[in-house]
Amino acid sequence: MKISCEGRERIFLDGSTEEWKALEEHAASCPVCAEEVRAWKQLSAAAAELRNYREAPALWARIESSLRERQNAPVRGRFWRHLDLWPRLSQSWQMALAGAMVLVLGVSGSYLYTHRTPANSPDATAKLLKSSALAEVERTEREYTTAIDKLAADAGPQLNSETPLMANYREKLMVLDSAIAELRAQAGENPSNAHLRYQLLAMYQEKQQTLEEVLEIKR
Amino acid sequence: MGSVGLTLPWEHRISGAVRTGERRVEPSESRMETEQVAAEPSQDAAVASACLSGNLQGYEQLYRWQGTRMKNLARNLLGSPTDAEDAVQETFLKIQRSIASFRGQSSFVTWSFRILVNTCHDLRRARLRRKVQATEDVESLLPGSVPRATVSHPSLRMALERALERLTAHQREVFLLYEVEGFRHAEIAGMLEISETASKNTLFQAKRNLRALLEPPRSAGAGGAR
Repeated sequence: MKISCEGRERIFLDGSTEEWKALEEHAASCPVCAEEVRAWKQLSAAAAELRNYREAPALWARIESSLRERQNAPVRGRFWRHLDLWPRLSQSWQMALAGAMVLVLGVSGSYLYTHRTPANSPDATAKLLKSSALAEVERTEREYTTAIDKLAADAGPQLNSETPLMANYREKLMVLDSAIAELRAQAGENPSNAHLRYQLLAMYQEKQQTLEEVLEIKR
Repeated sequence: MGSVGLTLPWEHRISGAVRTGERRVEPSESRMETEQVAAEPSQDAAVASACLSGNLQGYEQLYRWQGTRMKNLARNLLGSPTDAEDAVQETFLKIQRSIASFRGQSSFVTWSFRILVNTCHDLRRARLRRKVQATEDVESLLPGSVPRATVSHPSLRMALERALERLTAHQREVFLLYEVEGFRHAEIAGMLEISETASKNTLFQAKRNLRALLEPPRSAGAGGAR
């Protein structure tokens, strides 16, 4: 294989073993290429200076303890664990998923509304919260919402920082807020529906968890 | 017609291995053949499967196998051993949190290093922002005013670290992953979500830029090569 000075850069970029061999043979009689090849290889050799594989004895203990702590934390549902992937999705995917989520909630909400069981049927009364229980739920929900709002206020400065991670968290919270608003609207029309209340509670819990993660990053 | 002359100030410190080992035309690829740090499919699969089953021993195996390499990459990307340890710890937590999403499309090591690189991105950005805010008026700390690597005759490592700081983040990552950590272009492509060709091009640009940064200023009469 015959190599000239013109082929040198291409070999530096993507040369095969044979091409490198040919270049070195050419460099033996070409001082310019010899210097270039030597300098190019020296950069690779110099990179070894950045290799420091010394053990950090305490590091594994630290990692293990944090892994164990997280492992022993209460297990969240599979669906909620999937939300951990949210920050890693691209913005367009996030927007698309957020849109789809709102659409699904809207469609299912209107379906439930139009196909709801008459309130006076015996089947329905079993599923409905009685008025005293309802008052209790609404009071607790108000307290819970206030507590989450306080958490949101604490996380506010961190959330407003212009990092991609925080932008993702803001998006996630936006989706959760819109889902919460949707569910609250449905619950407003059907206040005694326990199933809706459970869904709402799950959304609040996810929001709380998200805000705690934001605060955790703040440290 | 003088030679282009990369008379690096650290030239004398480089071992003769490069010149005597002329068969090693691509040092990193050859290193991979001997060290085989990443490309051990059975070990990779065993560690992945242990981690997937929620066994903490799986994470320990990953740490014993790749921990020092992860820490080394993080230290080179972040410039501080403390930040590097934080990044490795955070990476393990992220691996644990998202292990269910590992589909085996790349090796487990490649997947773990992708998380590490992203974690370092986040930490670096956060730290840079803090630094810029705190030192807004201290011009000497801003990247644009970093002195040429060769001016003060620092050690090879320091010269290289300073020169690396002047590269783009992407070039720095590819150079460190390929030349320092010994990953293949195909693996780097998987980690950085780029094509293999893009990885090769980025490495080429990184090495060209490093060379220019490490080359001593030429005297007026010595220029004119090519």
